[in-house]
Amino acid sequence: MTKFIIRRLLLLIPILLGLTLLIFVFTRLLPGDPATTILGERATPENMAIVREALGLDRPLHEQYLQYMGGLLQGDLGRSFITNRDVVDDFLQRFPATIELSVAAILFAIAVGIPLGMYTAKRRGTWVDSAGTVVSLIGISIPIFFLGLMLKWLFAIQFPILPDSGRIDLVDYYVPRVTNFMTVDALLAGEPGGVIDALRHLVLPALALGTIPLAVIMRITRASVVDVLNEDYVRTAHAKGLRESVVDGRHILRNALLPVVTVIGLQTGLLLGGAILTETIFTWGGVGRWIYDAVTARDYQIIQSGVLMLALIFVLVNLVVDISYGFLNPRIRHS
Amino acid sequence: MRTWRWISVFAVLALVLVACGQQGISQPAEESDPPPAESGDAEPTDDGSMDGEPQSGGTLVFGGAALAASLDPALTSDGESFRILQQIYEPLVDLVPGTVDELEGVLAESWTGEPEGTEYVFTLKEGVTFHDGTPFNAEAVKVNFDRWQNFAEEFQGNAYYYGAVMDGFGADNLIESVEATDELTVTITLRDPSPTFLYGIALTPFSIVSPAVLEATNADDPTASTLGTETVQGGTGPFVMEEYIPDDSAVLARNEDYHGEHTAYLDRLIIRPISDPAARLQALQGGSIQGFDLIAPGDRSAVDGVDGFQLVNRSSYNTLYLGVNPTATDDSPLQDLAVRQAVAHAIDREALIEAFYGGGGSPADIFLPPTSGWFDSVGEGAEVYEFDPGAAQTLLEDAGFGADNPPTVNFWYPTEVTRPYMPDPRGLHEAVTTMLEDAGFTVETGSAIWGTEYIPAAQAGTYDLWFLGWTGDYDDPSNWYGVHFGFAQGEPAAAFACDPEGLEAAIDEAEATLEEGARGAAWSEVAQLVHNEVCFVTLVHGDTAIALTEEVRGYVANPTGSESFVDVWLSGE
Repeated sequence: MTKFIIRRLLLLIPILLGLTLLIFVFTRLLPGDPATTILGERATPENMAIVREALGLDRPLHEQYLQYMGGLLQGDLGRSFITNRDVVDDFLQRFPATIELSVAAILFAIAVGIPLGMYTAKRRGTWVDSAGTVVSLIGISIPIFFLGLMLKWLFAIQFPILPDSGRIDLVDYYVPRVTNFMTVDALLAGEPGGVIDALRHLVLPALALGTIPLAVIMRITRASVVDVLNEDYVRTAHAKGLRESVVDGRHILRNALLPVVTVIGLQTGLLLGGAILTETIFTWGGVGRWIYDAVTARDYQIIQSGVLMLALIFVLVNLVVDISYGFLNPRIRHS
Repeated sequence: MRTWRWISVFAVLALVLVACGQQGISQPAEESDPPPAESGDAEPTDDGSMDGEPQSGGTLVFGGAALAASLDPALTSDGESFRILQQIYEPLVDLVPGTVDELEGVLAESWTGEPEGTEYVFTLKEGVTFHDGTPFNAEAVKVNFDRWQNFAEEFQGNAYYYGAVMDGFGADNLIESVEATDELTVTITLRDPSPTFLYGIALTPFSIVSPAVLEATNADDPTASTLGTETVQGGTGPFVMEEYIPDDSAVLARNEDYHGEHTAYLDRLIIRPISDPAARLQALQGGSIQGFDLIAPGDRSAVDGVDGFQLVNRSSYNTLYLGVNPTATDDSPLQDLAVRQAVAHAIDREALIEAFYGGGGSPADIFLPPTSGWFDSVGEGAEVYEFDPGAAQTLLEDAGFGADNPPTVNFWYPTEVTRPYMPDPRGLHEAVTTMLEDAGFTVETGSAIWGTEYIPAAQAGTYDLWFLGWTGDYDDPSNWYGVHFGFAQGEPAAAFACDPEGLEAAIDEAEATLEEGARGAAWSEVAQLVHNEVCFVTLVHGDTAIALTEEVRGYVANPTGSESFVDVWLSGE
């Protein structure tokens, strides 16, 4: 197992190096540059030349790349061209918001998706199963921006039982940011009401963001459970007179879980990459919106380093998923 | 069965969460903060804002489109940055609230100096201290002016306004010297007279920062400066920066030692970035903010006259125009003045205002808006093109065009942007295209992404017809006509290729004319040349508005959009 982990970690080096080059080339292929964003209406050719020179964008591309890589190898991921903020600081400030939202969304998806998948699988061929299939199809197909806006309109404006946006009620609770996890910071600030309020702010975005993973998890769970239900050992367990709950938990679910865990890992990795639409609709200051804004503004430094950090996290999450296989099924050995 | 148990537990937890939070649904100030002081009766005023006896206390959450691009005021040039920074930092002088051409002292008690002269002597306010406790004095002013003048090259790109007002950076720019004559007197000597100098230094980027903070944050070092990124106490304004979370919120608290007539009424002012105008409206309706700027014209009816909300209108200080470039394509029909005049006559500006500005705007007869102090003198004699499709068709016929051989022009608009002067670029483009087609033009349409494609292409002179606009920085015709039609090395601005005989000399003359009456006449010459040659068609001065909940009082809208929250208070009603 250790060897496997070391090999996977070493593989990261060429992957990330390749990524830096790819991202660098792609960002420079995009039309425009940060100078036009900074200047807006004032972007006359003379003004743009001044800004480009100031940002070093007038130098040959290979020089710019080598300078970026030089900084990267020394652990310097650079500063935003637009705000001059340190990219790592910016990332670390936003990533907790993304983690908070992603965890809430994936927990919602797991908590509802697995039981529903299991339930419909055990009633396959019935109307319950058909209804489940239809619901999961709707879940996968519904555009997030539509779902998000509808949830907001319904539960925050028409029937105002949940907050419409943001991470905490800024009027009621002043919570100094320490960890940038709002729930934790509210707790640290001695504001139990703030913790509940932060959780309430999580509900609508988590529902919007968790719907697609929920539908995917439900479908995979159903398919996997259906396969396992036909296995001899399940029949044997039933024949031995084991309780239904024991058969479900120990014999069916545990064996059906492997593909589900893979999907959960992939979905978590994707969610951690940021959810542009959800973050925009609910004004959630996470990394998705940050990267999107950087692309729109052609803030090369943020795009390059931000995407690199997200790629690293995605690969690491997948590694964790691979390692978890060994625990779920001892027959699987990595060598 | 266990499955159902899980679902039940989850559902119960969710219900408990919702129920627990019912009492915490974002509150108007009266429920979260005990109303201090006695309450006065508040009545709506003519402009829709409310009046009454101000009360102290409460937190106002205001929605902006974004937070600040930088926390270093000198390195900002956009309205969203100014909104935050001008609550914290102050310049020597500022515009009188509600005006674009009247100055008042802020950190300066008084000053002497004329547009025709080169020496300005500022007498500073006594007893002012920066938020970090450093005393404000003449030396602090000198330190800031010296810093801006000697900005490292890496900073110069973002320090747009300093470069524009002071004609670049370094020892050869407009500033000859800044001397701290005594503790409270600063003498600024210019190399040449500049009628825009005082208006220029009223802009937020010319705010004075505590020298101690400048030093502590390595503000002169582009690779190490933290002034633009960290929460520091470097201003003298009515609010201090308490916390700044990028993409999340800027939390400002009342400066208890403010040197102005009174301290801010609000305990806290929190700015939240909400980029989407529809999401800003929803946040207001949902109660998580109590005000936001730049309400979409189509959304005004959701607030105006609706119980619990109010709309504060802001007279425009902007202009949408249709750029006209006769050299963008070979053999362009726009090379003929009659065709350009036909374009101008073809457009029904009143219809555009009704359809896209919710009626909040006025037809732009000239580039300068009526709020400008120069409007009458500069507009004198400039050709005004009324909507007249018949005249447009006649002009085209005179130019040799007709139904069989219509003039063909390309016409572009930007995507992924709205501006106060351009609330719906695509809709405006469709409407104007139809008007041009009705007049007899064949229009080839195109669109491009605003910041990255459209602006560079328009500025390079690629498009025949194109939308753009301008919001004035300060009230001088040079900031309008000079910025757009100025010549560089004898060449006209590529965007318009506007080169009627005598324009370059007229602009030079106008720039050099300092006496107010003569200056107006000189810029009028420029305006006549530009408008009569139809180098562009000025379309609309678009009003903007701030949406507020009913409890917010004392908000004074400025045409420039530069607004202080020091007088804003919450009624507790």
